[in-house]
Parts: sequence; structure tokens; C-alpha cells
Amino acid sequence: MGRKLFLELENCIGCRSCLAACTQCGGHDQRNRNYVLDVNPFVNRQTMPLMCLHCVNPACARSCPAQAIQIHETGAVLSALVEKCIGCQNCTISCPYGIPKFDVEQNLMYKCDLCIDRTKDDIPPMCASVCPSNTLQWLTEEEIAEKQQQHEMENGKWVTSMPYLESETNVKINLPGILQGKEKLF
Amino acid sequence: MLKDKFFREIENKEHPNEKLIKTHCSYCGMQCGMNLRVDTSSNKIIGVEPRYDWPVTVGKMCPKGVTAYQQTNHKDRILKPLIRDDASKKGTKEGFREATWDEAYDLIVNNFKTLQKEYGKDSLSVFSGVSMTNEKCYLTGKFARVGLQTRYIDYNGRFCMSSAAGGFLRSFGVDRGSTLPWTDVHETDCLFIAGSNTAECHPTSMFRVWEVQNRGGYLIVVDPRETPVARRADIHLDLKPGTDLALANGILHLLIENGYADESFIQNHTNGFEETKELVKEFTPAYTSELTGIDEDKIIRAAEIYGKAPNAIVMFARGAEQQHKGVDNVSGYVNLALVTGKIGRPKAGIATFTGQGNGQGGREHGQKSDLLPGYRKITNPKHVEEICKVWGITPDEMPEPGVSAYEMFELMHNKTIRGLYLLCSNPAVSAPNLNFVREAMKNLDFMVCSDFYLSESAEFADVILPSVTWAEDEGTVTNLEGRIIKINQAQEPIGQSKPDWRMQIELAERLGRGQYFRHLTSAKDIGEEFRLATKGGNADYYGATWDKIDQQDGVFWPCKDEEDTGTPHMFLDKKFYHPDGKAKICALPYRPPAEEPCEEYPLRLTTGRVVYHYLSGNQTRRIPFLKDMCPDPYVEIHPELAKSYDLSHEEEVRLFTRRGEAIFTVKITEAIRKDTVFVPYHFGHEQSINLLTIAALDPMSRMPEYKACAAQIEKLGVKESI
Repeated sequence: MGRKLFLELENCIGCRSCLAACTQCGGHDQRNRNYVLDVNPFVNRQTMPLMCLHCVNPACARSCPAQAIQIHETGAVLSALVEKCIGCQNCTISCPYGIPKFDVEQNLMYKCDLCIDRTKDDIPPMCASVCPSNTLQWLTEEEIAEKQQQHEMENGKWVTSMPYLESETNVKINLPGILQGKEKLF
Repeated sequence: MLKDKFFREIENKEHPNEKLIKTHCSYCGMQCGMNLRVDTSSNKIIGVEPRYDWPVTVGKMCPKGVTAYQQTNHKDRILKPLIRDDASKKGTKEGFREATWDEAYDLIVNNFKTLQKEYGKDSLSVFSGVSMTNEKCYLTGKFARVGLQTRYIDYNGRFCMSSAAGGFLRSFGVDRGSTLPWTDVHETDCLFIAGSNTAECHPTSMFRVWEVQNRGGYLIVVDPRETPVARRADIHLDLKPGTDLALANGILHLLIENGYADESFIQNHTNGFEETKELVKEFTPAYTSELTGIDEDKIIRAAEIYGKAPNAIVMFARGAEQQHKGVDNVSGYVNLALVTGKIGRPKAGIATFTGQGNGQGGREHGQKSDLLPGYRKITNPKHVEEICKVWGITPDEMPEPGVSAYEMFELMHNKTIRGLYLLCSNPAVSAPNLNFVREAMKNLDFMVCSDFYLSESAEFADVILPSVTWAEDEGTVTNLEGRIIKINQAQEPIGQSKPDWRMQIELAERLGRGQYFRHLTSAKDIGEEFRLATKGGNADYYGATWDKIDQQDGVFWPCKDEEDTGTPHMFLDKKFYHPDGKAKICALPYRPPAEEPCEEYPLRLTTGRVVYHYLSGNQTRRIPFLKDMCPDPYVEIHPELAKSYDLSHEEEVRLFTRRGEAIFTVKITEAIRKDTVFVPYHFGHEQSINLLTIAALDPMSRMPEYKACAAQIEKLGVKESI
């Protein structure tokens, strides 16, 4: 079965290769659709990608009065349809992660579509393909379960993984801290 | 071959009316695999697609790699030869006019001939680089010695890899940058990484580095700054710039003291142990801590981890190498592996992160002032004879050894060298002590520069020859593992641009030396002669045919004949390349940096890269994404240091040393030592930090000490707020 995007935030090195690669996707008009943040730049060099999590019940689509935001059968929440988007920017306000971007000239929202022209055929999205640090990975459900299990505690709560943040998402995340409690080889 | 847990069979996305050309990145020594997307109607490169089936990098690329394709059809490309008649405009972009190849060649040949007639053959010089194929590197060495008949050839590897080379030659008797393939890196139990900002300079190594920790292994990072790789390290040894040798000696002392020395390995496979043991006794944790500024506890813990690790890899880069004791630092770190016997088997060994794309291959085959192809010495009569046979000259026609890169600028200053043919390099940004170097270039009677953009160095030229980008030519490159790989042509050269090898062959013809070059009509022809020239040398490529490289996903040298599949792991038989087959454990007395902080210049200045730029930035500063991400240099300062100078974030300050000064924007971060400031070196003109750096050269490698000098900051006048 198809793979999913998995984020292991601890790994991020801030190279922003994901953003550069985003522009290379066929449907992306040379514009990148996600973000990489400096977490605390005066203190250290920790960075993290802020990617569309492709919510199962996405606020952006729910808030769209024109039904311009379609959900692909893979679960990918697509970029606004040019012919339907009315440029109201409800989606940019409703998204809890601030993902949808807005092109003022075109009066059009654009966002991560998980490289749908690739992922529909189970080719990894550009960001996860190039990510040098394996912060972004393209994994099967079993691989993701295994990753998350490594950080599970006896009380049933993951150390660094949550079932989901705001609401259930198709993209899964391991928060920073994956090395806590890691059993050392020697 | 050598496919590991990260390798996955993935089909590439193919777009209509496009074809994919398999090749590698143009930039660093990782040489990440990539596919260039070529439009089949225009036959132009239009994009990039990951190369999932390349075993080293499995599709991964850094932002430089992703955008590398934008170089080829860039608006700044030089499309025709350029001539400048008014020498008073040297050092500026002004005064160039377009010319034909014939006119440019005639001008070059006339000037070269006149200079050589008047001042001797050695009045000409060649300054080259290693961001180009083995075929070009090989031919450049031959062109200098046979075409121009000058002794003066050297290359920008002196500013990059020469200390690693010197250290490996002394310790092992052979200089292959990594003793093992990169597919071993994530399988080791401890990585000891010194002076490498791996996450920014070799980002596609990072998934392997993190995997060591994910498996429960250890990561030790030595760096004055808490770089992105140091941030996650188990131990971050935050040393003062320029004190690596003290740390290496200190750790070696603890390894020996605490019983981690492998007596039988030392006995059977090394020389020099007793003497070294005596020398490092002085380097107690307390003394090491005093010299390096690292907490004693951390030094002790690092030695314990490295000592205990069943397998470990010691890795280093320019941080340790770009010092006036760079060679000693390298041998000092290599000592750790030799004394503990953690070498000569899979998952354990030594590696340097090669900075330039072909930093490995380019230093082996005759661009260095004293080397001939196959890592032969120009001072060894037998070696000279072997190469003379391939080149068709007699040994008395072989020029003497020349001088190192920086020393060539000294000879330009005093008019020993009067003409320069510069290719594949931008020393007006990348050399140290730039006021002196720029003056030297201005002082030349005649200078030719071959480049595909008008670099800061090209601004000093009388003639600029338009060369091609990596994607418009083909040939082989040797990556940081020592793996020979194939670069493929994706597009025909644009405008009237030509590959450097073609220019050299055409120039040789006009210089009356055509008989030694005219049988070479393609990169492949040069490759064939090049393989033959390496036969029997230490760096033997004879068996590495282009077909074998394709079939095997690269060939590790040495590869001696058709049957030989190459040598991914070095020293598996515990045989080193010194005549007695033993490695050398080196006793290395500590020396501080050439210029220590003082009252007048109390700060330690160190330099390095950012992830968005490559070398002098001549390429990456023109790529919109990379320029947006890092448009200008800056000076990194710890908040406490900033406070003592009353500086705030993004304020402009004057930074100066005994050699020069520049204005930089302050970037405040706790991720740097309080006594050290850092500036990235990728920028030109008045933004070059190398205006300030020191040209203290390593006595063996002639590497300048970019990584440590004494500096001072001056707060600029407070701007009146309106």
C-alpha cells in the first residue's frame, strides 16, 4: 500500500533543500510551498520544517466557500483549483499551521499537494526525496508504526510522538527528543 | 554493489517531452548522484530529478545540488571570448570586448611567446582547480609542462586538501581520502568528527551520521562552533581554533594510559609508537584543556568512548587541515586509529571530507607543483621516465618542480612570474591575504582566465576564454570515498563556449607543441591516455574504464587491470604503502597558531562555509534560491562578546586584522565560543573575509592558516535615528 510522509524533527539541519526541491515538482510552478523555521536562532542552530500535514479533516478545505480545495484519494489535500478559488483567504486563516500561501497577483491560494503527480504513483515527494538528514521520509504504515514504537513508553504515551497534534493527519511526526532514553551500544 | 539499508528501488518521475541524463552534482566531494532533466525539443537542461539508484546518496541532494542545473543556461554565462585592451582597467569588470576564438588565441600565443623569449620558459604559470574532471586535471598538468614548458603549475587544492594529502602520505604512504566506502559510515559505533561542519558542507552525509546515533552509537564533534552536527553530538569538544593537535595528542595519551592501545597491531603494522607515547605523556587532560579551552571531563569522556568503541571512524575536514600545522593535525588524528588498531577493516578507519568535487582525483594526477599522474613525484627520476614515455618527451625536457599556490602569487609580485593562465579557480576570493594576492594579479604582464562566469579573478585578466559548465562535458571524477565516477554530458555547450581540454589542445597547436596533443580529440581520448599514465602509480586508475565505472556504480582506486574490480576498503591486508608495509605513528610536538590573540587583536577569527554556497561563490551567488537564502556575509559573535563591544544583532561592524579589514553585519548566537568570531568566505570584492586571513603556510602542505588568526572589532558610529 502507498507510503506516507513522516517527519523526524530532531534530524533537521536547516539546509532548506526541501524548499529548493519543492520548486522542481511538475505542478508547482517553481514556487516552494512549505517552510523551515529557525527554532531559537540566538541560542542554537536547531531548525524544523513546517510542512502541510495533510489533515484527515482539513480546516482549509472545510473553510473554503468555493470547494476549491479537493482531497485526493491518497489523502493529499490539494492546492486550490484555479477555476474555483475566489481568493478569499479563509484557508490561510483557518489552517492551524499557517500552511496555505497566497498569490496576490493571481488572487489564488497555493499549497503543498504532496507532489501529487509523483505520490499518486508512490514516487516520493521531492522534499522527502532530497532531504539529506532524513528529517523528511517516505515510509510505509508499518515503518512508521515501528519508528513510533521505538519512542513509546509503558504508559502508552509516546515520548516524542503524538497520535496527532491538532487533529488527525496523514503526515506523521516524531517531535524532537528521539534520542532520549536511547539504549547505547556500549 | 554496496547497496545498503537506505537503498530503495524507486522509479523516476518522467515528464512528457523530457529525458533524464544520469550524472553527479557539480559541487563538493560528495558528488551526489542526480538526473538532469533535458527538454527533448530544445535540448536544454530544465531541471533536476533525484537519482535514487546512486548507492552513496540514494537521491538526496542539498540546496546547492537541487539548483545546480540552473548554472548552465544562466544569463551570466560568457558566450564568446573577451579581450580587454586597456590594462589600466585591470581589477574591474570594465573594458572587455567580444572577440573571435582566433583573435583571442593569437593574442595569448603572441604574449606567451614574447614573455618566454624575453624572460624564459618559467615566466609563465598555470593556476588551476579541482572542480573539474580527471581528464581536464590530467591534461592541464601536461599542458603546463609539455605545452607551455613551465615549471610553475599549482592549483586551488593547496587551499583545500593538501594537508590531508600530506598527513595521509606521512602516516600511510598513500593518500586516499577515505579508507572505506561511505556505505560503512552509518554502520560504525562511533564517529569522531573534527573540524567538519558536515551538515552544511557535506549535507548528504548526514542521514548516515544520524543513523549511528539512532543505532545507539556515539557522535563526537570537534568544532569551535556548535554547528548543526555538533548540536546533536554526544560530546561536543568546543576547542579554540588552531589547537587540534593538542587535542589529538591529549586523547592519544588517554587512550594509551587507559589500556586502549592495540599492542599486537602496533607491533606488527606500525612504526613510531614508543617515541609518540613519550611525546604525548605531557598532554594530560589538564594541560590539553589549558591549550584547547575544552573542559577536562569532556576530553576524558571522548577518549573513553573512542577507546571502547568496537568500530570507530575518525573523520576530519578543513577545520583541522587549514592550519599552518594542518599536516600534523591530520597525522595526529590518524594516530588515534593506528594506536587502537581501528583501521584496515570494514566500519573502522579514517576519512577526510573532500571539499571540492574532484578534490581527490584532481590532486593525484599532476596539477600539483611536484606531482605527475598516478601520484608520481616529479623529483623521482624513475617516475619522470615513466610519464615521459606516455607524453613522448625526454626526461631532460621535464620541468623542475614549481612552487605552491600561494607562493606563485609571491613570484608574481617580484616579477619572476609574468604571465598567468588561470582556470577553474577564483583566487581573488579564495586565497588568503587578498590585498597581496589581488596586487600580484594586477602586477602580471599578461593574464588569461578561463571561466563560464565573469569571476572576481577574471576581472584581472587581459583575455577571458568562455568555458563550459560540468553538464556540457563528460569525464570522470573521484569522489570523497576514492570512488571514480562518471559525469555525463546533458547539453551541447552554449554560445561559443568550449571545454578547457579543447582550449588547451588548440593552444598547444598554436604554440608549436601540437604533436603532443593533436591525437586527443575527445574527453574519452584523454581518459584513455590518462589511465595509461596512472598505470603503476600509487593512484592507479588503469583498470577503471568508463564501461566498468558504469557497470559497477563507480570504481574505487587502486584498480590495476581489467579483472580488478577496485578497492573499496583500503588496508584490509594490514599492508600500508611505506616500503616496509607499516604505517607511521607520528610524534608531533604541539605548536600554537602562527598568530595568537594579543592586546591589540584579542579575538580569534575563523572562517568557513554556509550550506547555500560553494567555495568562492562564483557559481552559487548567481543562483536565485541560494542568493536569497544567504545574500551577504556576516560575523557570528557570542552574545557575551557582543555585549562587551556594545554590539547588537544585525548591526554593522568593522572587523580587522594586521592584513586587512571589512565591514560585516553582526549575527548574534550562543552557538560559538566567546573568544572566537566566524565569517563565511564565499563573497567577493570588499566582502571577502580573506582580506583579513593570514598566509602562514604549513611547512609540508603549503596550506594557509585560514582557520585561525588574531582579529579585532570596532563598533561603527551609531546611526542617528530619524
